Amino acid sequence: MTAWDEVHVGDELPALSIDVTATVIVAGAIASRDFMPVHHDRDYANAQGAPDIFMNILSTTGHCSRFLTDWAGPEAMVTRLAIRLGVPTFPGTTLTITGRVVDMQRQGDEGLVDVELRAANDLGDHVTGTATLSLPT
Amino acid sequence: MAASDPTFQARLDGLVGAPVGGGGPSVGPDPVNQPMIRHWAAAFDDANPVYTDPSVATTSRFGAIVAPPLMLQTWTMPTPVLAGIAERGGSPVPAAEGLGPLAVLDEAGFTATLATGSEFEFLRYLRLGDEVSAETVIEAISEEKSTRMGTGHFVTWVTTYRDGTGQVVGRQRFRILKFRPAP
Repeated sequence: MTAWDEVHVGDELPALSIDVTATVIVAGAIASRDFMPVHHDRDYANAQGAPDIFMNILSTTGHCSRFLTDWAGPEAMVTRLAIRLGVPTFPGTTLTITGRVVDMQRQGDEGLVDVELRAANDLGDHVTGTATLSLPT
Repeated sequence: MAASDPTFQARLDGLVGAPVGGGGPSVGPDPVNQPMIRHWAAAFDDANPVYTDPSVATTSRFGAIVAPPLMLQTWTMPTPVLAGIAERGGSPVPAAEGLGPLAVLDEAGFTATLATGSEFEFLRYLRLGDEVSAETVIEAISEEKSTRMGTGHFVTWVTTYRDGTGQVVGRQRFRILKFRPAP
């Protein structure tokens, strides 16, 4: 668990690397109830001009949320997550999520931590974004 | 060119506030529940105990098991009708009567869609038994822009999520580019 007193602007969050397989993509799509065939059917994805199935956006944000709370711990609450979408994530790549604390402020008895994050794969930036976590102080 | 016509932009401006996807809020088919949370936590290899371990969750700031925040949209996704899903372009259920507000852009040739951004805001985490509903309206449509993908309009819609008592629990802004595909 990460305590408010131990967090500083500029801190790097531990990177999270995900070996992306078709199973990872399909499991995420179905767990988030996204049944679009481009996320589970390679023939369909090919017909749409994509080389393979690709990760759905809800899965991307799901992995980002895990990245944040793996670091911040069970007492943290994610209050905001904003992402800009870049290149797709296909099976066979490694998705690496990195982040850095960019701002902190106390609000009553909670502490708000702003994190800049980036999820990159072999094609480039899959997403870049910012998140806010609330930690008990 | 319809798109450079000021009356076309006025039509687009008139869509701000229009509901997206049928009339009225969409209500989640099931309340927030442990099996779907466990499935989600497994899919994302997310070991946060407040999602699945009552002994940790009850003594945490949340006081009980909570749903992963990013499941917010998942609760209100319709139960899919698998037959014909490919023919519908992946739409989980057959489209409601009539075309959505974005048909104006399709008719003007901006037929291609690219998702460009997503922003979630969480006011409180959902607990087991919470009923969730979602209501989506168009928040903004940009003027015509030249982009790497082609000429198009950025459309932002905002979804407001409420619990069974009508309290807002979160919001989601989603931005897409509707553009004219290269010939």
